Amino acid sequence: MFTLTLVTPEKKMLTDVDVEEVVVPAFKGELTILPGHAPLMSTLGIGVLRYRVKGSSAFQSAAISWGYCEVNPRGVNILAETAEATDELDRERIEAARKKADEMLRSGKLTVDEIVKYQRKLRRAEIRLGMLNKH
Amino acid sequence: MPSLKDIRSRIASVKNTQQITRAMKMVSAAKLRRAQHNIVNMRPYANKILSVIADIAITHRVTHPLLSPSASPRKVLVVVVTSDRGLCGGFNANVNKFAERFHRENSSKYETLDILFIGRKGADYFRRRGLKGVDTITNLAREISYVLAASIAERLMKSYSEGGYDEIRLVYNEFKSAISQNLVCETLLPIDLSRATLGSQTDSKFSKDLLFEPPPEEIVDDLLHKHFAVQVYRCLSESVAAEHAARMTAMENATNNAKEMIGNLTLTYNKLRQASITKELIEICSGAEALKG
Repeated sequence: MFTLTLVTPEKKMLTDVDVEEVVVPAFKGELTILPGHAPLMSTLGIGVLRYRVKGSSAFQSAAISWGYCEVNPRGVNILAETAEATDELDRERIEAARKKADEMLRSGKLTVDEIVKYQRKLRRAEIRLGMLNKH
Repeated sequence: MPSLKDIRSRIASVKNTQQITRAMKMVSAAKLRRAQHNIVNMRPYANKILSVIADIAITHRVTHPLLSPSASPRKVLVVVVTSDRGLCGGFNANVNKFAERFHRENSSKYETLDILFIGRKGADYFRRRGLKGVDTITNLAREISYVLAASIAERLMKSYSEGGYDEIRLVYNEFKSAISQNLVCETLLPIDLSRATLGSQTDSKFSKDLLFEPPPEEIVDDLLHKHFAVQVYRCLSESVAAEHAARMTAMENATNNAKEMIGNLTLTYNKLRQASITKELIEICSGAEALKG
């Protein structure tokens, strides 16, 4: 058992929650952290963070976008740019965001920077929708 | 001499103004509370990022262009943070005056000294004085969100790397308390780690055999960009909190002034009323005297 802390610039989502297992969207793919993991430092991509609170068998999840995670003997610290728990997500807003990003990408008159921006937006929206559908 | 009716309408209009200023004070107080909350919430994130950068930079001797201060900066960008709306006392005037003086005194020292405005009031002030900024960012949403700050930070970072500036300074009001703001001129880029490194050298929890994924240089690069965004977010939040605090105080003063003015006007009104009653009585009396003959 170890602790999980999740901090964003706007709020402190989780503070020293006792967990048994954490799955983070590391930049090369998902990474599962179990008790006794070697000290690690990794950046995180856009994706879903899942964690199992001590004594329960179900995973709880939060959508995060860019962040970094630090594993030390005491626990896991995650700093994320944005983080939202499943019940905070608003399906209509996400679908609207997805549609807009999709349209912009199809319009074909974007600069390189804008293409990257809307691709990120599209990916974020799709991951969130996936999270809602599983729920 | 104003007539009784004039004074009555003056009193009514001052009362209206007082009501408005009082309402504005309440609104500012509520917004201030939220802005303060924002600042407090952001601190753990900001501290954590800084200490991690410092730790990695020390234990792995990472160097980065953003971390090396140039001894004699030649191209400087000054970012002037003001509010979009007025009626907040000396809040904007302080920033503008300082920025103007800074520009006057230092423009000969540097090769280029450009100004970038965040907030409408600063841009207006300098436009009247014939100084044009390289860019103006206005219409900030009422509340500064991290996403917004990050996009501004990205713009600044871009002009730092592309515009070839050696230094980016931010002039803004720091929130001290509800009644006092502190004018700050802070160098945001290049990033100065000396403050953070002092603290972390003693309690660094890092071991040398930490796993990195991706390699430390890339993590530091990423973290420095985020750190800069957080710093911009912090400065903007401070400025917003200071703005609400300044407006609250200004409106409080305005409400008190209105109260005093109403008092004075009421006094004049009563005196005038009494004088006119006395005058009428005298007229009646002297009329009666005359009839008695």
